[in-house]
Amino acid sequence: MQFQGQAKPPVGIVFDSGMGSSIDGALALALLYGFDGKNEARVISVSVSRSNLSSAAYCEAVGRFYAGAVNGGFGGVGRNLPVGLSVDGKIKDETPMLSGPLAKLTPEGKPLYAHGIHQLNDTAEVPALIRNAFTSQYDQNSIAILAGPATNFAQVLDLPRVKDLITAKCRFLAMTGGAFPNGNPEFNIKADIPAARKLFAEWPTPIILSGFEIGEALPFPAASIEKDFAWSPNHPVVDAYKAFKPMPYDALSGDMSTVLYAVHSQDGYFKLSDPGTIAVLDDGRTKFTASPQGKHRYLILDPAQKERIIKIYTEVASAKPVPRAPRFPRKEKELKEKELKDQELKDKEIPVKPSEIKPPAPQQ
Amino acid sequence: MITGKSLARRTFLRGIGTTIALPFLDAMTPAMAATTTKAPVRMGFVYVPNGMDVRNWNLDYEGKLGELSRIMKPLEPFKEDVLVLGNLTHNNGRALLDGPGDHGRCCGSYLTGMQPRKTMVDIKAGISCDQIVANQIGNKTRFPSLELGLEDARQAGDCDSGYSCAYTNNLAWRSETQPLPPVLDPRALFERLFGNGIALSPEARARQSKYRRSILDFVTSDTKKLEINLGPTDKRKLEEYLSSIRSIERQLEKAEKDNAQIDPKMPKPYGVPADFAEHFKLMTDMLTVALQADLTRVFTFLVTREGTSRAYRELEIPDGHHPLTHHQNKPELMEKVSRINTYHVKQFAGWIEKLKSIQEGDGTLLDNCMIVYGAGLTDGNKHNHEDLPTLLAGHGGNNYIKTGRRINYRKETPMSNLFLSMMDRMDVHGEHFGDSTGRLDGLNLS
Repeated sequence: MQFQGQAKPPVGIVFDSGMGSSIDGALALALLYGFDGKNEARVISVSVSRSNLSSAAYCEAVGRFYAGAVNGGFGGVGRNLPVGLSVDGKIKDETPMLSGPLAKLTPEGKPLYAHGIHQLNDTAEVPALIRNAFTSQYDQNSIAILAGPATNFAQVLDLPRVKDLITAKCRFLAMTGGAFPNGNPEFNIKADIPAARKLFAEWPTPIILSGFEIGEALPFPAASIEKDFAWSPNHPVVDAYKAFKPMPYDALSGDMSTVLYAVHSQDGYFKLSDPGTIAVLDDGRTKFTASPQGKHRYLILDPAQKERIIKIYTEVASAKPVPRAPRFPRKEKELKEKELKDQELKDKEIPVKPSEIKPPAPQQ
Repeated sequence: MITGKSLARRTFLRGIGTTIALPFLDAMTPAMAATTTKAPVRMGFVYVPNGMDVRNWNLDYEGKLGELSRIMKPLEPFKEDVLVLGNLTHNNGRALLDGPGDHGRCCGSYLTGMQPRKTMVDIKAGISCDQIVANQIGNKTRFPSLELGLEDARQAGDCDSGYSCAYTNNLAWRSETQPLPPVLDPRALFERLFGNGIALSPEARARQSKYRRSILDFVTSDTKKLEINLGPTDKRKLEEYLSSIRSIERQLEKAEKDNAQIDPKMPKPYGVPADFAEHFKLMTDMLTVALQADLTRVFTFLVTREGTSRAYRELEIPDGHHPLTHHQNKPELMEKVSRINTYHVKQFAGWIEKLKSIQEGDGTLLDNCMIVYGAGLTDGNKHNHEDLPTLLAGHGGNNYIKTGRRINYRKETPMSNLFLSMMDRMDVHGEHFGDSTGRLDGLNLS
């Protein structure tokens, strides 16, 4: 039964990435928290397939930053969700875009970007985290985003009864991967080919891919990093950007395009291919075969939308978080009060006489 | 003289209306057998309600147990026999869009691992892990399982925001729609264990008690015959065992006498001691005998019902337990919650001491048990369901569970993983249970 006391909240986003491979992942997370802050989406799960504590720690630091941990002023945007970490991911290295921001200290010598991940058990078991996130969503009110190798989502598919759950709760999976209609092997697919094949074969909802060509055609401008993020003297995404490559440079934005499509799929930012089926070749290339019954599509860039896309990228990713009022403060308070009142009334009730309680029948 | 013959494990002392199973004796091990008879492994769950004051439950370290937290302190003498588990989660105790009712959900999901249906009528949860095991191995013992409790509680009606009392007042579920209510009355349990299984009415029992002798008197003849064939160690074990049964009888008689003097009309099951600690001890004493005599290998013990507002006047706490847990971080209320939590652990520690004192084979009865002690809510004030207060007592037979440690698992690790691993240890193997994602690593270090 779904509790009927509230209207549906904004769509819930399950975000899994290989955080650390490209600055694109950090920008995508910033964009996602930007949409969260605008009440256009809710981040309900964050996990990483890079088996490195710094990858999870960076994600948590960004989440806390948007929750106001740096200067304590932002309030409701972002949450201190546990971050899932793959223990058997195919990519494991720590990269400068992770180590750079995490190494920064305050004048007092404390980490500038606070996080609570110092050992493996500070992170969450990924299949349980993602499955549990879906269980608490209204039907068809969540979207899965994959901005990295498919390692984690493939493992989620091994859980019992999970495909029915995903079918019920999740509209579609948006992922960064492949190259369309043809192209070279793409990093996310090539990093874990068995997982990608499993995902394409078994994921129960439609899958929408943003191929390499999309991110390449929509460079995130370095000027935005210098200008639009300046509201904060310290920003974990800016510091990651600067640590990733010598400035100035424009960044690929494949993961950002995936986030944008997921949250605004109906707003015409991208065109979609016909449906079809994607196969993964042995060298990591993707092969799309059109088919009316196919569940896979890929994004097609409409040149007329390019300026509009870059504009929303820069505006939302760099947006300063603002305190967000509870959606239903009065209703939630009333429900809590009713619950306590009901309990008080019950506590005053006379207990049932023992004669009314039948002991269980002897089992032998 | 050494012979290849041994005493059958299922030997009973019989008398009129009485059947007393025997504990595990050396004589039950064939002297020249190629393999020795192993004591069975027992599995049980002791559940305390309303979460805990986690400030005083949690340990801030992992690995070998050092100083225990305030609430666990009564277990200090037995810390080499317990394993403290951190970060286990019951996702199906969470609201999952079903709104208020964490008490109903957390108890209904605790051993089932399933999301209970929010209803007061057509209840549905899942078959609990104890009953899955009982179904598989219950034919080896007189009782497939025992369900015990201490608090009088109804089985129908609304006990939490639209959740049936069947969820808050039961731990064991025989099927997804059939909970097994706990036995609350010590006399009823005694008669179930040692009588013919029929609980007498208070009036009939009163008539009988006028002429009552100890049940041991009815089995004197069998006892004497048995003793002839026992060695000195077994004779001592038998004497201690029968003495413990006699002790239980005396406790029962005292409780019944006290109750009659206090208030003969009180709506409390006949024979329930007025004192919580006495009641706890009496029930666990009988449970000990049941485990010792292999009457059952599976049990659940709902210390008090979930959401209870029982007052603990013996601790000079007149406030209800449940309202206290909504303490809003007021120190004076939190202090009372901690004292109640500690009081529960103290009773549990007393029972652990008893289990550890009973020799069984080369070890103790506790060595062959694995008993979960825990709550279905983490913090009664927050109503959260992650990092549930949980410890495992006993070694699960053959020194399987490496105790004396604290393990902090990864966040969101399902509690069902622990139960799946325990079921394995009971030789009941399933692919998954509840919302499990796999087995729980680290219980055994080898």
